[in-house]
Amino acid sequence: MEALNIFIKSIFIDNMIFAFFLGMCSYLAISKTVKTSMGLGLAVTFVLVITVPVNYLIDKYLLQAGALSWISESFANVDLSFLSFIIFIAVVAGIVQLVEMFVERYSPSLYAQLGIFLPLIAVNCAILGCSLFMQKRDYSNVGEVFSFALGSGIGWLLAIIGIAAIRERLKYSNIPPALKGLGIAFIITGLMAMAFQAFSGIKL
Amino acid sequence: MSNTEKQKDPLFGPRDMKLLKTPFSKENPIIVQVLGICSALAVTVKLQPAVVMAISVTVVVMMSNLIISLMRNTIPPRIRIIVQLVVVSFLVIIVDQVLKAFAYDVSKQLSVYVGLIITNCIVMGRLEAFAMSNKPWPSVLDGLGNGLGYGIILIIVGFVRELFGSGTLWDERIMPEGYIPNGLMVMPAMALILLGIIIWIHRGRNKELQENE
Amino acid sequence: MKNFSNRYIYIYSTVLVLVVATVLALVAVGLKPFQQKNIKAEQMQQLLSSAGIKVERNVAEENYNKYIVAEYTVNSNGEVIDEYSDGKQVKGSDRPFEINVKAQYKDFKAGKANEVKLPVYVCKKDNGEITYIVPVRGAGLWGDVWGNVALKSDLNTVEGVVFDHESETPGLGSKITDDPSFAQSFVNKTIFDGEKFTSVKVIKRVGTDNPHAVDALSGATLTSNGVSAMIEDCLKFYLPYFKTLKK
Repeated sequence: MEALNIFIKSIFIDNMIFAFFLGMCSYLAISKTVKTSMGLGLAVTFVLVITVPVNYLIDKYLLQAGALSWISESFANVDLSFLSFIIFIAVVAGIVQLVEMFVERYSPSLYAQLGIFLPLIAVNCAILGCSLFMQKRDYSNVGEVFSFALGSGIGWLLAIIGIAAIRERLKYSNIPPALKGLGIAFIITGLMAMAFQAFSGIKL
Repeated sequence: MSNTEKQKDPLFGPRDMKLLKTPFSKENPIIVQVLGICSALAVTVKLQPAVVMAISVTVVVMMSNLIISLMRNTIPPRIRIIVQLVVVSFLVIIVDQVLKAFAYDVSKQLSVYVGLIITNCIVMGRLEAFAMSNKPWPSVLDGLGNGLGYGIILIIVGFVRELFGSGTLWDERIMPEGYIPNGLMVMPAMALILLGIIIWIHRGRNKELQENE
Repeated sequence: MKNFSNRYIYIYSTVLVLVVATVLALVAVGLKPFQQKNIKAEQMQQLLSSAGIKVERNVAEENYNKYIVAEYTVNSNGEVIDEYSDGKQVKGSDRPFEINVKAQYKDFKAGKANEVKLPVYVCKKDNGEITYIVPVRGAGLWGDVWGNVALKSDLNTVEGVVFDHESETPGLGSKITDDPSFAQSFVNKTIFDGEKFTSVKVIKRVGTDNPHAVDALSGATLTSNGVSAMIEDCLKFYLPYFKTLKK
């Protein structure tokens, strides 16, 4: 139940783009057509559901204050949490690389779809941001973390497909020249964020 | 070659000034190159965190540009991205620890966004595009220019949002007593719209930057 | 670009990792005392502030030692587990100030109320009045909200409150911390109606006359509801202890 709640919350209320602006760079750069944004959105979701739970386990059993006590009681006072940024980003970069190799080897059709986006994702702030939020909100088990990651990924996917669909239409509208492209994309994202604000507070 | 060039360029040659100046307007990292927006918007509800964020990013860009530029001939190209990531996250951890120790309140406000400097595309972008192929001193200037160009937008947005959203500046009350704070300004949506307006004004003045979609 | 051998790459990355790890460990160890001091000082400042003693953070510790005369932890049956006063441990093994309130509340919410112990602070003000301070913790709209509630020696009247939050909407929900008039509205409210526990609720447009409720923040209904539920849930835990104190 709690996991479902987190899932819904991270899609609509704590939306990565509209509430936290995470992953804006690729969101704006790759949202010119629905097809490519679909690919990128799927890739982000895919990487999120793998990296965030892995980082959760690393954080819980290696980095947190007292996390090492499962090895021996004498490590109970060790606090490695200052290393979390560097470990998280290394895990993200490493997993992205691994996923890329796996997908290329076992599913060429999926690779053709996601392949070009995967390297981009290592430095997508949504991925690292999700791991950092996971650490901050300290969820109680892997199930909750998984639903948080999946929800955030789907929320991001929704946002990028939404803006891409609108931008495809915008080509035919008469926009002041200085506002064309980036400017109007920002304003529309703002309007979409306002619409998503309406979801705030829903609880299952 | 390095020797002759060193003699030609005084400490602040015209080329250096250009490195410092272009990121403010023509090549502004946020509104022209669309880099580093992720962390830019979330910290602009108030002026103070925006300024601290601007300083932190500037320090990280400058220092990482310097370090990578010093190391550039020793870095094996195959692992260069990971080396850059390690250097950047190293610096960000230091910034984070220092903030927690000496600017505790601000570090609480910035929360996860300090960590997100690592994936700030400006940092990685400048490392790849500039520091990997330039000498240390120009790299530092390039980092400084880009950091400040990023900061100026953050500060403008933070200024407007705090003034109208809370009626204060740097937590000091500015607006007259009867002013009712505009709640819309503190919502995430308004940061995006403000940035859109800044881009509009900027491109209205710099016609060559306009897109023809 | 030059060509680098595999061996060079391995050595290069090993050295890099070692250097980075060493420097970071040194920095972290070096700065840790400052960071912990900040956290401790903030906690002390907030405890004092709820009892109406406003001090700057840099002098929080000395004032804390001056005014807080005893720290206890109590369990859900109202029994005292640990006691710390006059700078030494009197009973039990944990200093109540160092209890991880967040983790304890998590267990409390998870239904393990029997294993939980939570702190109570006794503050003696300049005029000799005794105030009991208890920490409270709950969920707001976006993240956690927490704070301290100070009760006068009748264990009924609110002396003062202080709230903090993780990520409530700036300018709306964040007013529970930023707007002094919100905390001020709790002062002199009562948590009992005769013998019945009523808590102090946060309700929309309730006016200033109700002795058991304060006005909710406009535009922050859900944060207000969170604060209301937090105070009620957490004070409930202490009721058995208050009962033993009153006897």
